[in-house]
Amino acid sequence: MDFSLSEEQRDVQQLAAKILAREVTVDRLKAIEAGADRFDEALWLQLAEAGLLGVAIDEAWGGMGFDFETLCLLIEEVGKTVAAVPVVPVLASAALTLQQFATAQQCERWLPGLVRGELLLTASLTEPGRDNPCSPATRLESAGGGWKLHGHKHMVVCADRASAVLLSACIEDELVLLAINPTAPHVKIVPQHVTTGEPQFSLVFDGASITDDDIIARGANAQCAVQSMLQHTLVANSVMTLGVTDTMLKMTAAYTAQREQFGRPIATFQAVSHRAADAYIDVQNLRLACQQAASLPRARADAAEAVLIAKIWASDVAHRVSQSSQHLHGGIGVDRDYPLFRFCLWAKQLELTLGGGNSYLTALGDAIAAAFKQRAAIVAPA
Amino acid sequence: MNITLTPEQLALRDDIRDYMARLMTPALLAELQGEQREGGGPEHRKALKQMGADGWVVRSWPREYGGQDAGPIEQYIFCDEVIRAGFPYPFLTTDGVGPVLAEVASEEIRHSVVDPILRGECIIAIGYSEPAAGTDLASLTTRAERSGDKWLINGQKIWTSYGNVADYVWLAARTDPHAAKKHHGISMFLVPTSSPGFSFTPINTLGVRTNATYYENIELEDKWQVGPLNQGWRMITEQLNRERLSLVNHGPCELLYERVATWAAQTDAGGSAGSSPVKVIDLPWVRTNLARVKSGLEILRLVCFKQAWSMSHSSLDMAQASAAKIYGSEFFVEAWRLLLEIVGQAGALRHDSEGAVLQGVLEHRYRSGSVLTFGGGTNEVQRDIVAAAGLLMPRYR
Ligand SMILES: Cc1cc2nc3c(=O)[nH]c(=O)nc-3n(C[C@H](O)[C@H](O)[C@H](O)COP(=O)(O)OP(=O)(O)OC[C@H]3O[C@@H](n4cnc5c(N)ncnc54)[C@H](O)[C@@H]3O)c2cc1C
Repeated sequence: MDFSLSEEQRDVQQLAAKILAREVTVDRLKAIEAGADRFDEALWLQLAEAGLLGVAIDEAWGGMGFDFETLCLLIEEVGKTVAAVPVVPVLASAALTLQQFATAQQCERWLPGLVRGELLLTASLTEPGRDNPCSPATRLESAGGGWKLHGHKHMVVCADRASAVLLSACIEDELVLLAINPTAPHVKIVPQHVTTGEPQFSLVFDGASITDDDIIARGANAQCAVQSMLQHTLVANSVMTLGVTDTMLKMTAAYTAQREQFGRPIATFQAVSHRAADAYIDVQNLRLACQQAASLPRARADAAEAVLIAKIWASDVAHRVSQSSQHLHGGIGVDRDYPLFRFCLWAKQLELTLGGGNSYLTALGDAIAAAFKQRAAIVAPA
Repeated sequence: MNITLTPEQLALRDDIRDYMARLMTPALLAELQGEQREGGGPEHRKALKQMGADGWVVRSWPREYGGQDAGPIEQYIFCDEVIRAGFPYPFLTTDGVGPVLAEVASEEIRHSVVDPILRGECIIAIGYSEPAAGTDLASLTTRAERSGDKWLINGQKIWTSYGNVADYVWLAARTDPHAAKKHHGISMFLVPTSSPGFSFTPINTLGVRTNATYYENIELEDKWQVGPLNQGWRMITEQLNRERLSLVNHGPCELLYERVATWAAQTDAGGSAGSSPVKVIDLPWVRTNLARVKSGLEILRLVCFKQAWSMSHSSLDMAQASAAKIYGSEFFVEAWRLLLEIVGQAGALRHDSEGAVLQGVLEHRYRSGSVLTFGGGTNEVQRDIVAAAGLLMPRYR
């Protein structure tokens, strides 16, 4: 048992923290948010230059070749600053899935360019009314040796800039994972306005042409690929939540220590310090949940459960720490000239991404029931 | 990062589990169902002595005492398995007071008290709390005064658990009533419960039996005063810190969670006529309750192992220890509630009742569960510590 980071992991963490602390000032965020879309292209290129976009990409494609756990360290640092860079959809959802399930040819086509910051990939996991990518309504219909795509995906991050969007669809009952070009004919791309201002888009497919080249995985292989994409995304978003709440907590402790009312710092009121202490416990607990979900080998029987638990905690902690932070700040906590509000917006968006905590509580409960029913059946055969 | 147990640690866990299963004889189990459920009865004493003889008590101790320097993670596993087995192991004696005595007591005391502790032949009760000194422990008034070459002890302690069966009370008494600060004039004594002038009366709490203990002109030789005179406060806080870590072990809760889930998977919940019968575990809200317990429990397990790991790397910080105590104690209260809901109305049946579910263990657990939130350092004070040490927030003086 070892809770420490390796030397390489510490290097990655420090490098990311250094760049982000230097670049992501409040003025920089304000300037970006005043622009056309909330994407910090200059920062993205700096991360590419530092090699950080390729943290978990194989050396064969120009990356550093570290694992998902190490990528999570970068994601946490981004969460701490709410920098306008789409690390989760691009690096965790799309790139990792491609690397693991696509052919060498497909990887060659996208990954080296992605590592260098020359092109962007993204992933689409949800449809209106369906937060689970394993059972999409989007479908492929065969048409003269190829396929036509019909369906509706939404809330796809940076779809406008992406060279390819990973998404799941069905051929009758068979699941497929595709990488489609969002600017192809018969793809309608419409900007959406999400609570954080992150650039998100809906994609409507009305007969877009798909060839075998665009298919990443089919059937059982696609089930694995979509599951893997979902799990990486859930953990990565939980880790992002960890970064976001960690900063909110620190801001709250610092603010209440210097804000005076009734002639004393408000932090010296037990009601204030205790609510902050509860937020501290929440953030610590979320950290452990994330560390376990990010580090457990995927093959272990309890790995899927660890992912659900991380998401459940992330959703609850995002909500609680955000509300406590706003409350303990008083009016300034909701003032858009004070930096807390951005973190609150991100906390809520992350909480809702891929569905709220209670839907995962249900999934965990079903998994528990299945396991114990199986055991009961072994103990007492009918 | 690798948050899994090593094969050696898993093997140790299985060894202890097997050992404890053999130790818990029907006679011992029967004794623990009755009046002496907290321990101290003849079967319990016999089993404890066996554990001493088999080397389990000394295991966590340094090599100079014949121990194996077992690391904090191994010791956590040991603790956890022993509590899971339902054996009332005197951790406060073996791992709380014992090591302090070994460090600071005289050769004579080491011989007459520490050795028996390691043999599993000695139980020590903790005499800190007083009727007027609870959380504000440093305001205690039990006095120890010089009388010739002896000490004369007078006062009353409350909530002295094991005071009725212990061989000694580890007593905090005021030796300098004029000290500038109230926690400066306190010293530690080991009071043999056979001393004339010692007596106790039972306090039956919602969950467990404890005692009020009385000290009336007890004469003690100098050797029973342990550690530096007037500097007992440091020893108290050190011992409490050590104790805090073992208060929130995850094992007992995990065991109950598994027992309730198993019960729910086996028990029919009825079902409307014509439809196939469903089990309790098929009810959606039951699944949610189990999932809530599981997701809280899993974090408690990680919190505990993180603490043990930090201790083995000398990096345990105060805020982390306090956070663990708060989280664990409050999680237990919630977990017992969620599990009791699953059992439903029958959850209120006591262990001695016809129809009790899982021997009524949950009914007992909820009754005794409330003590942890204020005992072992109340959660309000722990939150003060988290805010000050973990978040650097100023405190009100
Ligand atoms: C079953 C049982 C076994 C026990 N075993 C032992 C034992 O073996 N040896 C022993 O010495 N003691 C033992 N205790 C005593 C236990 O340690 C005390 O109950 C505990 O220290 C709290 O003290 P109190 O009960 O006097 O409560 P109080 O100190 O009166 O506290 C009452 C309430 O006031 C709150 N409060 C107090 N101070 C503050 C503050 N500064 N800020 C905010 N809130 C505050 C507390 O959090 C609590 O909620 C036992 C108690 C029980 C019930």
